[in-house]
Amino acid sequence: MRRLFRSSSLRVAAFYTAAFALSVVALGVITLLSARAALGRQFESRILSESTSLTREYQTEGLTGVIDAVRERDTTPGALDYGLQSPTGAAIAGKLATARAPAGWSVVDTPKKYGGAEANRVYVSPLAGGYRLLVGDDADRVEALDKVLIRSFLLAFLGVIVLGVAGGYGLSRGVHRRLASINGTAEAIIDGDLTRRVPVRGGDDDLDRLAITLNRMLDRISGLMDNVKQVSTDIAHDLRTPLTRLRQKLEAQVGHGEASESALTDLDAILGTFAALLRISQIESGARRAAFRATDLTTTAATVVEAFAPSAEDAGCSLRLEAGEPVVIEGDPELLTQMLANLVENALRHGGAGVAVRVVCSRKGGAATVAVIDNGSGVPPQDRERLFDRFFRLEASRSTPGAGLGLSLVAAVVKLHDAEVSLHDAAPGLEARVVFPGRPEWNIGAFQS
Amino acid sequence: MKLLLVEDDRETGAYLKRALAEAGHTVDLAANGRDGLLLAAGEPYDVVILDRMLPQIDGLAILRTIRTSKVKTPVLLLTAMGGIDDRVEGLEAGADDYLVKPFAFAELLARVNALARRPPPQDVQTTLRIADLEMNLLTRQVSRAGERVDLQPREFQLLEYLMRNAGRVVTRTMMLESVWDFHFDPKTNIVETHMSRLRGKIARGAGAELIHTVRGAGYCLREP
Repeated sequence: MRRLFRSSSLRVAAFYTAAFALSVVALGVITLLSARAALGRQFESRILSESTSLTREYQTEGLTGVIDAVRERDTTPGALDYGLQSPTGAAIAGKLATARAPAGWSVVDTPKKYGGAEANRVYVSPLAGGYRLLVGDDADRVEALDKVLIRSFLLAFLGVIVLGVAGGYGLSRGVHRRLASINGTAEAIIDGDLTRRVPVRGGDDDLDRLAITLNRMLDRISGLMDNVKQVSTDIAHDLRTPLTRLRQKLEAQVGHGEASESALTDLDAILGTFAALLRISQIESGARRAAFRATDLTTTAATVVEAFAPSAEDAGCSLRLEAGEPVVIEGDPELLTQMLANLVENALRHGGAGVAVRVVCSRKGGAATVAVIDNGSGVPPQDRERLFDRFFRLEASRSTPGAGLGLSLVAAVVKLHDAEVSLHDAAPGLEARVVFPGRPEWNIGAFQS
Repeated sequence: MKLLLVEDDRETGAYLKRALAEAGHTVDLAANGRDGLLLAAGEPYDVVILDRMLPQIDGLAILRTIRTSKVKTPVLLLTAMGGIDDRVEGLEAGADDYLVKPFAFAELLARVNALARRPPPQDVQTTLRIADLEMNLLTRQVSRAGERVDLQPREFQLLEYLMRNAGRVVTRTMMLESVWDFHFDPKTNIVETHMSRLRGKIARGAGAELIHTVRGAGYCLREP
């Protein structure tokens, strides 16, 4: 749900709803203003035309004619308000009464004619002989119309908001669902399942076209990956047959001279390097991610420390584990074991005589850390990054056996697990630290039960 | 023992057949997947040595077919080098062990021997005994000539593996795989170190040497 509210389609829908609502408001204001102006004009012209016709009545029929006309109009429902005043200001006819108001428009208090009508707009016309004719109407009627208009527009505004929000929600839910399925497919592919494809609805809309294009791209990528896999399988197969034969011939010679035995040792070193290279490229292809499962780094580290500790002690070095609680991550236990074994071997072999190596497992927040720390001769800062390059070896270690692939394998395993490996000065010595980022689903204790 | 070797490379096949025969086994050699499948499904063998990559029918396909038709012969699968998923795939298809090519012949021989004489699984043993060395699997106690020997948990596992394979050669990689679950080759001599400690503990209190080093192959625990 929270994700849905962060979706771009919902944002577009919200933007359009806001734009429509603003237009409704603008339209309402314009309509209200012009309606008010038109009504005001109509209101005044009605009063003016009544004043004119009554003034004419006075001119033709005299005072009694006007009085009759005013009285008659007073009894007609829906008519305007009238008043006729003598030159002294006394009311002669009609309900409108006022102190001497000047000729022309004015606002006049009258005895209450309608429920709440108090202030009336009145037009005062002076008649010959000092008489005054008052014609007025309740200005509240115009304001009442205003209210009706405002209410209708408010309703329309609310309607636009409700329809906009509901429509936007529905629209973005649909789009969101389809984008989520594309996203899910991409995630599955990242996790190593290259056979997954984005579902196509068959409606030939823009999202379908996107899905079709993505699927074509995925077909191409998996084709290329298959090629690479096929090529490395072919190389492995084509080389292993002659290498197997070679090894057998040397094996058959063993016992007939020193040379064949040392040739066999050399060949096994070559085979080891070759196997390590193939292994690294296989790890880098990411296919192993399908085999990930909950793995306790503490247990893995304990196994490695326990395996290497006797050899370390015999060599005058020491190796110990510093860990408490299980540190569970999602990973490949076999590769994590090899990663730790390589780091420990590296520290023991290159740390110098009598080196003390510690393996420390910890969890800070969501992130899990395993560090291999020695107090040996250390590595100059400028060489630290290059240690992870294939076949890179420090000058000092050229004399020891090995191909320089141990840390490349560590780097490949680390990358497969979306982790980070870094080398630090342990003053004295070197610390190799691998940090596995926390994932929301890794809440501590979930795997311990 | 009667073995079936399914190997498409003629030179390798001939060499292995000869070497296995020299070690005292009777070997049938099949040069392609079809022949291999027919023999494996039709004849009783003690162990089948099966190459994974074969012409006509792939090694894994043969393995799945014979396992579907309830053939329980132990199968040792020969896999491509560097193939880290090959082992899992092979074991899932029904292989009992695997070996990465190229390999030392001693390694193949040791694994074939270990596969062939596996005790039947329904036979539940609680005590293992070789000469005056006794291991109680329930109390996890070991004694030599009646005297108690204190072992670390991993040394116990190592000794148990050796005792279960008594009289047979056990290689370094076999121990790494079964005792430590390490499916890679450490540069450090961890097996040798653990073995020498175990030997020291077992030999204490005299008695004849039980654990023997087999040069170029591995170790063997046997009656003196």
